[in-house]
Amino acid sequence: MPDYDLEKLDDYRWQIPKTGGMRVPARLYATEAMLEDILSDDAPQQAANVAHMPGIVAASLAMPDIHWGYGFPIGGVAAFDPDDGVISPGGVGYDINCGVRLMSSTLTKEALDRRDTERLVDALFRRVPTGVGASGALRVDPSTLPQVLRNGAEWAVGKGYGSDADLDVIEEGGQVDGADPDAVSARAKERGLDQIGTLGSGNHFLEVGYVSEIYDDEAARVMGLHEGHVTAIIHSGSRGFGYQVCDDALSDMDKAMNKYNIELPDRQLACTPIDSPEGQKYIRGMRCAINYAFANRQVMAHNTRLAFEEALDVPPREHGLQTVYEVAHNIAKFETHRVNGHEQEVCVHRKGATRALPAGHPLVPGRYQHVGQPVLIPGDMGRYSYVLVGTETALDETFGSTCHGAGRKMSRRRARKTAGNRNVTAELANEGIIVRGESRRTVTEEISEAYKDVADVVEAVEGAGLSKKVAQLRPLGVIKG
Amino acid sequence: MPPDTPDWFHEIDHTGDIGIQVTAPTLPQLFERAALGMFRLLTDLDSVHTSESTQIAVDGRDLEALMVRWLSELNYRHTVDNVLYGTFEVDSIHETEDERVLSATVRGEAIDPDRHTVYTEIKAITFHGLDVHETDGGWAVQVIFDM
Repeated sequence: MPDYDLEKLDDYRWQIPKTGGMRVPARLYATEAMLEDILSDDAPQQAANVAHMPGIVAASLAMPDIHWGYGFPIGGVAAFDPDDGVISPGGVGYDINCGVRLMSSTLTKEALDRRDTERLVDALFRRVPTGVGASGALRVDPSTLPQVLRNGAEWAVGKGYGSDADLDVIEEGGQVDGADPDAVSARAKERGLDQIGTLGSGNHFLEVGYVSEIYDDEAARVMGLHEGHVTAIIHSGSRGFGYQVCDDALSDMDKAMNKYNIELPDRQLACTPIDSPEGQKYIRGMRCAINYAFANRQVMAHNTRLAFEEALDVPPREHGLQTVYEVAHNIAKFETHRVNGHEQEVCVHRKGATRALPAGHPLVPGRYQHVGQPVLIPGDMGRYSYVLVGTETALDETFGSTCHGAGRKMSRRRARKTAGNRNVTAELANEGIIVRGESRRTVTEEISEAYKDVADVVEAVEGAGLSKKVAQLRPLGVIKG
Repeated sequence: MPPDTPDWFHEIDHTGDIGIQVTAPTLPQLFERAALGMFRLLTDLDSVHTSESTQIAVDGRDLEALMVRWLSELNYRHTVDNVLYGTFEVDSIHETEDERVLSATVRGEAIDPDRHTVYTEIKAITFHGLDVHETDGGWAVQVIFDM
């Protein structure tokens, strides 16, 4: 049984009060119906553990898709004071700047028959390497890699992968300053040379779908989302480069924690003061990984366009694939927020949580200024995904953050057992969804039943006022690792 | 669990990630079995020929850090050098004032897509819930991987 109390604040808010070594309370966003699932693992305890960390401000937050992670829960948000707070690689995760890009097309679902979709998915599968250790979309030499690490998606666009119009609608413009390739180990760099433009394995995917429902006409119109029109979603991160940056930093910080007299309930929460040498080194290296992931998704977006052109034999103007937005959901950034009534800079850690800024916020791109920042919430491969926008409530309560996805409800092994000898690919094909996976095992592990219904998660964030629904997307074809 | 699962190995079935629990009569064997357990998650060990041998040395400030460094080193080499390992011999575990050093000989071969299936990708070996400890009959550890 959990050794914490959970107080109900309202229909969508729950709180673990500050007790023992907690410096702030932990607050959880969820509907009552979701609680049983959430309380069945240690995730709320993990949110309470995060509340012990030095310099945490306001509250340790958990989004409705919270589930057990190592150290920080997945779906966790925590902000730290830059003067007396800490930075924690575990609060970002191994896959630094894992994120989602949404693209919209002028093609309609009706314009694609079954064979078109199959050709398209096959072309995507050829052009976007997937699976364990996927490599080979683009290899850079060691002298070029630092440019990727400093310039992110800008580097990719400069090399002809996409256009400036893409950069305008990527979080941070697809590039963060302060990335220092010298802060990154030779091992991380080696892992980074041949994985740009690759999807990876696990829950990463590239999905072609269509807009199935619109909830907010004006926001959808501004985003170029029209009912029945084709879309593409890319979910991936910084690949082996990011894992290595995180691994190296955890090892450094694990050694350094004693020096700073930091004691925590879980060693995986390893952290050091933001302005310590170890903290600054991690921040500089993490920013390299953030830029690496931006470049990775930019190259995949470009290759997605080429796949449309090849498979459907159309010129670019006929598919009209443009980037709607790209969000990061594993990241730490310095942002200005209201804390206890005052504006201040804080270091926001989002691990499996998405930034969600309201209309009028200066960081929202011009074309979305009057509707708010688009938020992309992918579901499982058999059901649907959602497009939301950020709100003032999110800015006030969650450092401008919301959920990031459905969250698993079955372990990978239980999913395989549940699927048994079923041919998952054939079942999905019967429902009109073409799936290509590098491994049959991955496809089996990613069956719809293994995930929570993302509609429940979205209902909870909308009910709490953290985001507003704009549109629902349904899949036509998916490539998996 | 396959029928040939040894009694010293137990896979922890967790929603998001995967872990292993391993026991062994001695500390060096615990490190060897933890490595075997990790590679069981990655591939069918019967398919791996142990024709090439490599020396590995890692250090850590305590046994937990040493376990993370050991498994991380093997996973790094597996990922970057495209190899699979099938046997692990820990030659020594030295203890100095502020660190432990492990030396080992590991054997395996380059991945051949015609003969090997790599089931999954281990992103990292975590410190979460990691505890190398002595038991009545020897040693035990639980390791959680980020998949």
